[in-house]
Amino acid sequence: MSKATAETIVRIEDLSVKFDVTQAVEHVNLEVAAGEIVGIVGESGSGKSVTALTLMGLVADSATMGTGRILFGDTVLQEAGKPRDKALYRRFQGEQMTMVFQEPMTSLNPTKKVGVQVEEMLLLHTELSKEERHQRVCDSFLSVGLKEPEKVFASYPHQLSGGMRQRAMIAMATILHPKLIVADEPTTALDVTIQNQIIELLREINQKEKNAMIFITHDLNLARRLCHRIAVMKDGQVVECGATEDVFADPKADYTRRLIEAVPSRMKPKVQVTVPEGVETGSAAAGDTEHRAERQKPVAVVEHLNVYYRDGGGFFSRKGKQKVVKDADFTIYRGEVLGLVGESGCGKSTLSKAILGMNKEIEGEIKHFSTRPQMIFQDPYSSLNPCKTVEWLLTEPLRAAGELDAAYKMSAADRKAQACDMLRKIGMDEKYLDRKPSQLSGGQRQRISIGQALITRPGLVIADEPVSALDVTLQAQIMELMRQLQDEMHMAYLFISHDINVVYQMSDRIMVMKDGQIVEQGKTEEIFQSPRNPYTQMLLRES
Amino acid sequence: MGKGAMRKFKNLYFWIGLFMTVIALAWAVLGFFWTPYSTTAMSAAEKFQAPSLRHLFGTDNFGRDIFSRVMKGAGTTVLVGTLVVLISGGLGILIGAMTGYFGGILDEFVMRFVDAVNGFPSILLALVMISILGSGRHNLILSLGIVFTPSFIRIVRSEFIRLRDADYISRARLMGVGKLRILFVHILPNIFSTFWVSVMIGFNNAILAESGMSYLGIGVLPPNASLGNMLSDAQGYLMRAPWYALAPGLTIVWIVLGFSLLSEGIRRNAGEVSGL
Repeated sequence: MSKATAETIVRIEDLSVKFDVTQAVEHVNLEVAAGEIVGIVGESGSGKSVTALTLMGLVADSATMGTGRILFGDTVLQEAGKPRDKALYRRFQGEQMTMVFQEPMTSLNPTKKVGVQVEEMLLLHTELSKEERHQRVCDSFLSVGLKEPEKVFASYPHQLSGGMRQRAMIAMATILHPKLIVADEPTTALDVTIQNQIIELLREINQKEKNAMIFITHDLNLARRLCHRIAVMKDGQVVECGATEDVFADPKADYTRRLIEAVPSRMKPKVQVTVPEGVETGSAAAGDTEHRAERQKPVAVVEHLNVYYRDGGGFFSRKGKQKVVKDADFTIYRGEVLGLVGESGCGKSTLSKAILGMNKEIEGEIKHFSTRPQMIFQDPYSSLNPCKTVEWLLTEPLRAAGELDAAYKMSAADRKAQACDMLRKIGMDEKYLDRKPSQLSGGQRQRISIGQALITRPGLVIADEPVSALDVTLQAQIMELMRQLQDEMHMAYLFISHDINVVYQMSDRIMVMKDGQIVEQGKTEEIFQSPRNPYTQMLLRES
Repeated sequence: MGKGAMRKFKNLYFWIGLFMTVIALAWAVLGFFWTPYSTTAMSAAEKFQAPSLRHLFGTDNFGRDIFSRVMKGAGTTVLVGTLVVLISGGLGILIGAMTGYFGGILDEFVMRFVDAVNGFPSILLALVMISILGSGRHNLILSLGIVFTPSFIRIVRSEFIRLRDADYISRARLMGVGKLRILFVHILPNIFSTFWVSVMIGFNNAILAESGMSYLGIGVLPPNASLGNMLSDAQGYLMRAPWYALAPGLTIVWIVLGFSLLSEGIRRNAGEVSGL
């Protein structure tokens, strides 16, 4: 292979990093050659970011290097047992090695013009005059695909879109033509279409400049599309490392195999419900005909719905109105999963809030045929009341329902029994009753969150990006749990996601939304096989 | 473990604060029932005696035992501080919760009123209220309580605004939980750590304000003892009998410092639990 002969830019040898008592990185070896893109793939907490930050000399001072050393070309940047040489690092940082971060909003200074921030790189590392610097910055903006460099130069970060900000960050990272670029989840905060553009841009830069690139991501599909080689990390260790296609075609480590399997994909069968033995599945045995008749009944009908968003509107100021959802028209049937796909800002969350009656600025009609539809939120950290116990969280919906509706009235003991029952259904047990959300993991929180939504047996549950904040392996578990619970309790889901693959895995029918309009709806298979709308076609192509 | 040592160090605030506060409170409470000497008995023969074993803090211009008077005065002062915080904190929670959660016109009116009240120095306002209500302990508590309310309203209101759109509150609404229950069962416990800090600061301010008002001669009236009116009396004899001013002054410092440390300790502990 030609790559073997290429010059090695960076070599990480036997690196171990420790914070206090937690071992973050253990004996990691990694090498990146010129012209090569190496992906570090892993779930949150796997040590991938700590590895990169240690390499860049940006890791917190509380971290100690247990073993190993880091070489940049022939220079030893860091060695175990020796304090980090900050002066040495400053010669390399910015000029030889740069980093692109995940969140372009927080990695740019909001109070300074974008151009000035990029110019600072030149100010620190070169002797160019003011005019020359300006020219160089504009050139680099052009090279990363920012079409109006002068305008971008004079803009503040908040005046640019997410994609433009990330391009500006990349311009900043490449302006000095460094030998190494570390990109830490550079596309995670972006929409799919923008994501693809950024990936293409990185590939282009890599080919043109022949530099070394480390691409850190939790998304296996992305790594597969961009990287020449990948290293899979788990619990601070590299469990597998090799050429990308080899790893995907024939994963050696169990963990890699599980990771690849967990990625939602259209190539795979949809989420199947595995019914544990000895569990009654309700009316499943009663025959399909009954089931089908059930499915003809709607739980919610939405007719010509317009939803508005009011901006401003204090006591003294006039309210402005903005149409966010335009003429939505659809029906959700009993026991089905209706998927709703769209990019951020397309109005899908606004639509869901309107259906739940949380947004009053509407025109048109929403008819409900079930009582009290519930919602599952994206972020399991903010959707559970932090100062309550799991028992309280699970019994409160029953208490509230009992107060409104005599049919739900029950004693405190019965409520507790139901809570225990629900805990078992969501794969947990009684020992969690006294825990508070802060004592649970992200996945456990999302389970409780689902349990809280389902405990009153609603006919309709709206799930707004329920797995987007979770790691891939957890994603698969939560999706399976949602399917399994549906099979037991027969409610309908409106399943919202920006990820068309996730929606494919979950849904019976799909709606595609763009700029507030539902551009296409139909059976999942039909839409995936023959999408009619150009936007749907593009979404399918891009992901 | 490193982390355990950190925690202990943080808790040092708590333990020192608790120690100082418990001593101050025990001393003050004891003062309601028993003092070594009568707090009002005068004795011309014993005036301006320096601290001794007989009179621990010395005697004042009427020959009264300063130790006994400080005991009694600290009790009065702490009682005033506590009641003031109870009144203003209670009103602050009620009004702040309503205006913060519901917003709208009610919120606008209340907040403009609060702004107007905040425009004046609080001591001046309390003075005005006392001149309307008349002086004396009960009126002092009432007027300080009302004057202190706006700051509690602001704090409670901003916390309720922050939390009213939290996902878990949206959820509670979807479950059909009643409005009052959302306000006081779902949201209120979550503002504890912020609210507790303002209670502690408010308590300290109330003690200082009471001392200040009594010093001006419109709070607790002689011959009743309060730390403030003792300071006020002592200022004429600063050179002749410095212990007269030092005793109530240092007691105020002790109580305020103890409470500040205690509140800081509690805040840090609460922060640790809620992961802040």
